[in-house]
Amino acid sequence: MKGLLLKDLRLMKMQKQFFIIITVIAAGMAVFGQGETFSPFIVAYMTFIGGLFTLSTISYDEFDNGNAFLFSLPVTRQGYVAEKYGFGLITGAGFWLLGLVIDIAAGLTRGMFSADTVVAALLILPILLLMLAFMLPFQLKFGGEKGRIAMIGAVGIVLLAGALLRKIAGAWNFHVDDALNNLETLNMSIGKVILAVVVLAAVLFFVSYKISVSIMVRKEF
Amino acid sequence: MLKIEHLRKKYDAFDLDCSLEIKPSRITGLIGQNGAGKSTTFKAILGLISVDGGTIAMFGKDIRELGAKDKQGIGVVLSDSGFSGYLTIHDIIPVLENLYERFDKAFFMEHVRKFGLPLDKKIKEFSTGMKAKFKVTVAVSHNARLLILDEPTAGLDVVARDELIELLREYMEKEEERSILISSHISRDLENLCDDLYMIHDGRIIMHEDTDVLLSDYALMKVNDAQYAEMDKQYILRFRKERFGYSCLTNQKQYYVENYPHIAIEKGSIDELITMMVRGGSL
Repeated sequence: MKGLLLKDLRLMKMQKQFFIIITVIAAGMAVFGQGETFSPFIVAYMTFIGGLFTLSTISYDEFDNGNAFLFSLPVTRQGYVAEKYGFGLITGAGFWLLGLVIDIAAGLTRGMFSADTVVAALLILPILLLMLAFMLPFQLKFGGEKGRIAMIGAVGIVLLAGALLRKIAGAWNFHVDDALNNLETLNMSIGKVILAVVVLAAVLFFVSYKISVSIMVRKEF
Repeated sequence: MLKIEHLRKKYDAFDLDCSLEIKPSRITGLIGQNGAGKSTTFKAILGLISVDGGTIAMFGKDIRELGAKDKQGIGVVLSDSGFSGYLTIHDIIPVLENLYERFDKAFFMEHVRKFGLPLDKKIKEFSTGMKAKFKVTVAVSHNARLLILDEPTAGLDVVARDELIELLREYMEKEEERSILISSHISRDLENLCDDLYMIHDGRIIMHEDTDVLLSDYALMKVNDAQYAEMDKQYILRFRKERFGYSCLTNQKQYYVENYPHIAIEKGSIDELITMMVRGGSL
């Protein structure tokens, strides 16, 4: 596992200029952005750029049929999947922290720091989990190019299914928007909602990992 | 070390049914033309493809039960795959150190220097010879018990091939219980290196013999029509019609030397032997 992580970190090093530019842009936005006390956009942006790099490493592994050799090393398919999920979390969390530091530093310099910054930034972490949970199985199943197309298709299907469900629910006199607005009346505090989202994200992350393992076990190289 | 029994793999236009065994302290060669089934056999051994039947046991275990720890015991070279071309040797050293408990960094560096491989150049920018040398160096640097080498000398000039074969000999001398399975379509490499040879054709093993026996007992006989008609054919494996009469392949050279002193008998290279086994007719 550690060997694979090191390999991916080395691959990431190749893109260091790209990551430096991203960081500079984020810092620029934080310092020169228009007067809000906190811009979750910067933290989110950094987190997703970092987390998405794990998808790029899958493309690098596939390049020139590299997977055949990779799986002749002391690496199991399950271990490989675990490493990709772990790497996504490490780089995502690493860039999240970097984004947060930039944001806090910019806030402090401009005398506008508030503790809400950290709370709002924490909410981005379950979204990172959801993003990885959604994208990794597609990337592993279809590879770089086809994976992207499959993912766009899947997003379309999910949106369509959502719209359809909403319509059906409407026909049954159940209004989703109202239900969401009424969460408070249902006696759910914001803390509980956050907890529910975090738990849900963690569960989906685990389910996605299991799906990815079954995808990789079936693959031939 | 490795035992394959009736390994089956079917593709649309290809059907593999292969059995072979690699014994401890032996170098076993697998010879065959392109598309004969060498790479499919190697991929099946390494668990890279699913199989349609048969069993493959490595170190006494079914390969489906091999874990990461067991795989530390093998060193692999694949003809069409390797470390990501975007990495440098410098990048790969810590990866190897963490993947293999018995990675011998001093030995690895010694050979990297000996072969003149650059540490900070991306592997995809290496020449064919450099890539091949690097792959074999990686395979022999972690004290594996078994090397599985698919066409490790492909595309190399004679000098580079000899250097690699020398490296494999050194590997074998270092410890008693080591074995190598190696494939090549350049039979001269295998003739000089292997203890025994398997010949594969159209997905089937058509011959297995110790290299010594191949070189001492197998021979090509050139006979005219009259000689062919009267000779004892019980030890003739393959024959082929030629302009002058017939070429015959035997695995009992001495029998014909003693009983038919007038027949032209040639030692025959492994390449000629392969050609006869594949193209010749059997009686």
